[in-house]
Amino acid sequence: MIPEIGHFALALALSLAVVQSVLPILGASRGNVRWMQSARSSAIGQVFFVGVAFAALMRSFVVSDFTVRNVAENSHSLKPLLFKIAGTWGSHEGSLLLWVLILTVFGAGVAVLGSNIPAATKARTLSVQAWISVGFLSFLLFTSNPFDRVFPPPADGSDLNPLLQDVGLAMHPPLLYFGYVGFSIVFSFAVAALIEGRIDAAWARWVRPWTLAAWMSLTAGIALGSWWAYYELGWGGWWFWDPVENVSFMPWLLGTALLHSAIVTEKRDAFKSWTILLAILTFSLSLLGTFIVRSGLLTSVHAFAVDPERGIYILGLLALSIGGSLTLYAWRAPVMEGGGLFRPISREAGLLVNNLILAAATGTVLFGTLYPLLLEALTGDKISVGPPFFNAAFVPMMLVLGLFMGAGPFLSWKRADLAGVLQRVRFVAGLAVLVTLAVWYLISGGPFLAYVSILIAVWLLLATLREWALRIKFMEAPLSETLRRARNLPRASQGMTLAHVGLAVAMIGMIGSSAWKSEEIVFVTPGTDVTIAGFDVTFTGAERLRGPNYIADRGRLEVRRDGEPVTTLYPERRSYPVAQSTTTESAIRSTLAGDLYASISEPASEDAASGEAWTLRILYEPLVNFIWLGALMLVAGGALSLSDRRLRVGVPRRTRPHGDLRLPAE
Amino acid sequence: MIWVAFLVMALVASAFALLPIFRPDTAAVIRSDAVPAVLADQLEEVRRDLDRGLISAAEAKAAELEIKKRILSVVRRTTSEEHGPGAGGGRAGAILAALFVPLMAFGYYTVNGAPDVPALAFGERAPERAEEARIVDLAQQLHDRLQNDPNGGASEGWMLLGQTYMRMQRFEDAVRAFETVADRSDATSATWSMLAEALIGANAGTVVPRAEAAIERALEIDAMNPAATFYAALAESQGGDDAKAYDLLTTRLTEANGYAAWMDSYVARINRLAQATGKPRVAVSDYASEAPRGPSAADVAAARDMSEGDRADFIRSMVDRLASRLEAEPDDLDGWMRLGNAYKVLNERKNAIEAYSRAQELLEAAAQDDPRRQIVEKALRDLQG
Repeated sequence: MIPEIGHFALALALSLAVVQSVLPILGASRGNVRWMQSARSSAIGQVFFVGVAFAALMRSFVVSDFTVRNVAENSHSLKPLLFKIAGTWGSHEGSLLLWVLILTVFGAGVAVLGSNIPAATKARTLSVQAWISVGFLSFLLFTSNPFDRVFPPPADGSDLNPLLQDVGLAMHPPLLYFGYVGFSIVFSFAVAALIEGRIDAAWARWVRPWTLAAWMSLTAGIALGSWWAYYELGWGGWWFWDPVENVSFMPWLLGTALLHSAIVTEKRDAFKSWTILLAILTFSLSLLGTFIVRSGLLTSVHAFAVDPERGIYILGLLALSIGGSLTLYAWRAPVMEGGGLFRPISREAGLLVNNLILAAATGTVLFGTLYPLLLEALTGDKISVGPPFFNAAFVPMMLVLGLFMGAGPFLSWKRADLAGVLQRVRFVAGLAVLVTLAVWYLISGGPFLAYVSILIAVWLLLATLREWALRIKFMEAPLSETLRRARNLPRASQGMTLAHVGLAVAMIGMIGSSAWKSEEIVFVTPGTDVTIAGFDVTFTGAERLRGPNYIADRGRLEVRRDGEPVTTLYPERRSYPVAQSTTTESAIRSTLAGDLYASISEPASEDAASGEAWTLRILYEPLVNFIWLGALMLVAGGALSLSDRRLRVGVPRRTRPHGDLRLPAE
Repeated sequence: MIWVAFLVMALVASAFALLPIFRPDTAAVIRSDAVPAVLADQLEEVRRDLDRGLISAAEAKAAELEIKKRILSVVRRTTSEEHGPGAGGGRAGAILAALFVPLMAFGYYTVNGAPDVPALAFGERAPERAEEARIVDLAQQLHDRLQNDPNGGASEGWMLLGQTYMRMQRFEDAVRAFETVADRSDATSATWSMLAEALIGANAGTVVPRAEAAIERALEIDAMNPAATFYAALAESQGGDDAKAYDLLTTRLTEANGYAAWMDSYVARINRLAQATGKPRVAVSDYASEAPRGPSAADVAAARDMSEGDRADFIRSMVDRLASRLEAEPDDLDGWMRLGNAYKVLNERKNAIEAYSRAQELLEAAAQDDPRRQIVEKALRDLQG
């Protein structure tokens, strides 16, 4: 009964979405308050019923109800409970259900929390959000029903993929989707503004918390995904420019641009049509990502052609929403009034540069991701655009961005005093050069670009801290005054400082772990010594262990530095007999200075008989943990900014005398 | 019960759509209130920044001026549209929506739902698993009995065990069971082709050299064994010679007399090869003039539940059906051989000899090395001698 309740709940959610896609927007154009306000209850109803469906699916996974096809195909009675729960969103159908759930959460969020938004704007926004709901709920019900049944059920489920049994991966899709789909509400706000033909500072403020929330979760999701790849895949890398990664990174880049351009719209009433365009494009990229990942296009263009139903449906949705919104944009954007003027040297100009670079970077990633797909579709050739392309095209842009980013916060609105700014940053610029020279002196190896990158990362870090110091009058006023200022600084501004510092920290981690990484792949027998990055590593042998559902070969590595024992590493190779697969469990000695990372593979075939010879891969990745530390700071910065009271401006409710007569139904 | 739950859910959904009816219809935030509120807050923010010394007095003044200008323009621009005249109406629309929601959901669900399929948690399925365990147990018992038999266990027993293992997908065990029989003198062509099948299954579909040897042996004993030919073709195909595989299968089909179930899998396989080799596609009707004959699955199922006497009658009627069909189509060599064998089993010697004789007449036209000559000659010798 439970799965059918889930199925019926989805049908009800779709019906409510249909109502919400028509009534409120009609009310807004006719001035009918009751219809406008119907958006509120139908948005809540939608999230309720999609939630019921999600809970029903989750319950089916938890109790391993194999009469549900989705459960039978994507779970197994022996899976640990946590991964049964995570299995709910592990499959195509389940992940789309999660997608729709998040979509409705954001819709209901605006319905409930957006009490300061004018009724007409809110009604239009929620109707647009409901159009997306209708599209995806019908996609779910008609092509990817998560509640398809099988009877009689198979004896047990068929999936126990051990590689996917990882906490990082279990949490990764929900966070990514929160970011991806969160931008839907920003898109809806933008389309509503286009329909209304009006966008102003107030609009930018209403949208800001939602953009921030989506951006934060996308940041966290991407960081978590890279962390998972680093620790679980056993390749020792944290970013592979893989299409699945790229499609989540593009909305992040453009979302970051949107976050900044919305500030200009809010403070200066400028960049209005650009902000709208960014809002539309950011969500379009999210849709594109969903399409690429969900249509099977990535596995093979031909696989997509063989079973095109799902792909065509998403493609249709994609064409409709992107094409429709851009057409609307082309038609309505020119009539919007222009905003405040600014000089070439000003905060606005700085943010414009930020936006241009971020947009160009997004275009680069888009090209590198789509080009191989298009080429395969047209000519059948399979090529891969790998890290060399992205490193050559994308990295330099980010370096220029870093350069501007350090200086940007010093600029004032409208017109900035360039000489004054230069004077203020002179000291930190010099310091950054000194630090870079010191690094060069100490390491004197690695690519030249690495030193340029270090220079820029250090510059960004120091300049951001300097700007903060200026604001709180550090060393300029008595300590008590400085502390008072630090406490009273608006949280949005504190958040900015924290996020910018976070990016600098993450950059340092990225540079360190890619430019000065050491790697040894050696063939070892007990007693073999390997020297890497100042560590002496001795392989003392391997033993066979039994886990709960796997058999492991565990190597033992004694690590010493300058003769002093440092640690013992135990890399494992696990084989899971039920799933007939193997995983690499790398052993990592993790410190802020860097990770010593070891993994072992099958005994090399020649000496397999003796069982004593192993292929040992050992890596030293300097500063790699700075990446995730930096990401954490980015997210925390976003949270700090989101908690700023200014984002929660309340307005007095306009009430007439009988307005207080409330019926119990409310 | 489930429909009651659906009804409750539908009512809740309707309520969500109906809710606006009960709301006071005027308590809406309108633009001319909301926008100035945001701008006023910005004004306050500028003052705060000035107090804290974050911005200079001149900057603050300029900012304040600009924000005030914007407030004024918003207030001036407020249009009548937002205070719309229809503010009080719209009840009918909400009621319509409240009716539409359950109707659409029920409409969808009656077409696509599966209300009769019960939920079945893994934990509740202990009896089912017990049944499976029982089959495993029975197979184990049979295995033990055969294993401990001082004479090595009956060949039929081992074959049954092997086939049971095949159904349980325990290919390695099936290989061992079939091998036991294959080593014996009473091994038939079928023993070897089943061994080949088990070996192929154990190697994830690859025809390994041992399987190839088994196929060869099966064909030595009976060149007409369709299973052996099928796997011989598979071996060719995996060796890269799809054309030869195609020829092997079509040749065997040409030799077939009348329909048999295996012909369907042949045709499916041939057509897949046809795609790869560009050779023509085939259909069962090209090789068997009539629709499936012989006992249908239903007949077999019926026979299983019959008493001894009933079963004899049933077999009798089947044999009669075959005999009368052969009267109409006297050229069916395999049919006559099957009929001869059936009479032999029923101990009707005279009829058996007659049937085999008809087969022998037809065989005169067949090739000298047709293996069926030996079978028929041996059968006639046994019956007459």
